[in-house]
Amino acid sequence: MADGEVYVIDRVVTRPGCAREFIDTYLAEYAPGARERGMTLRDVLVSPPIWFDDQPNTVTITWSLPSPLAWWQMTWKGRPDPTLGAWWDRIDALLLERNRSVAAAAADVDALCEG
Amino acid sequence: MMFCVTRLLDVPADDRDRVLSAVREVAERSGALRWVVAPTDQRSRNGGDILVHLRFGDETGWRTCEPELKAVLAVPAITRVIGATYEGEPTRRDSSGTVYRALLLRVSPDAPAETVARFEDELRSMPRYVDTILAWQLSPVISAEGPTAWTHVFEQEFTDADGLMGPYLMHPIHWAVVDRWFDPETTDVLVRDRVAHSFCEHPAPVLD
Repeated sequence: MADGEVYVIDRVVTRPGCAREFIDTYLAEYAPGARERGMTLRDVLVSPPIWFDDQPNTVTITWSLPSPLAWWQMTWKGRPDPTLGAWWDRIDALLLERNRSVAAAAADVDALCEG
Repeated sequence: MMFCVTRLLDVPADDRDRVLSAVREVAERSGALRWVVAPTDQRSRNGGDILVHLRFGDETGWRTCEPELKAVLAVPAITRVIGATYEGEPTRRDSSGTVYRALLLRVSPDAPAETVARFEDELRSMPRYVDTILAWQLSPVISAEGPTAWTHVFEQEFTDADGLMGPYLMHPIHWAVVDRWFDPETTDVLVRDRVAHSFCEHPAPVLD
């Protein structure tokens, strides 16, 4: 069975002046459920590290899971929950763009692909 | 190009053997070039208790068989029928597997055609990365059965159930690339309705 940590990365560009509100809302409303689904919060990074009120910030939030199986178990818990997609729709008002990607450490790529 | 029919049946455990026999009798005299009527693996999701799959040389073959299959599926013991009819051309490696799998899905009707084409290309790319997929076919749906207006059927033959649950499910092409189209947490989500993922043992070629 493929092994190696899996990272889920939310990268958002906030509307001017909205970075702090986005992060507070994300940590208060989204993070508890994500933890219940098995994700561990690794980082919440703000770029540039200034709470702009007139420019966008880029916020990068990184979660980890211990394996691809744990990633599937996370999605199996979350996918039937219609409130998750609705939460992202609601938070969109604070964002100019967003993207979610899934990654792994370079050292784990071969093992993950070979199974 | 094959004309294909897939039906996933919900049947209480006590009635399953009787329904299997009745549907197999219809399949045997259906004129289908290949057919599967088998209990689904319990790890299927929204995939019914019995998987029925018939492959005809053309639509006429299906239309001849259709009334008899409809009748045998109309018994009260079958509590739900979902499925699709579609045309498609399979691709096959040199060997055949022991597990047949069908994924029924519905792409959002407002999705741009070029986005749907990228999604289809990515699905078709999966066998390049997962060598336990021995045959595959991605088909647009002609007509859907049940409450979901399925748009695509993605069928595969796997080496065995481990080849599906292990290398297929756990390869990054699945969870880090293709799954984003199914994930309501991503901005790429195209498939919002619950999919039907159904598989069963079948130790003979199906996608031929």
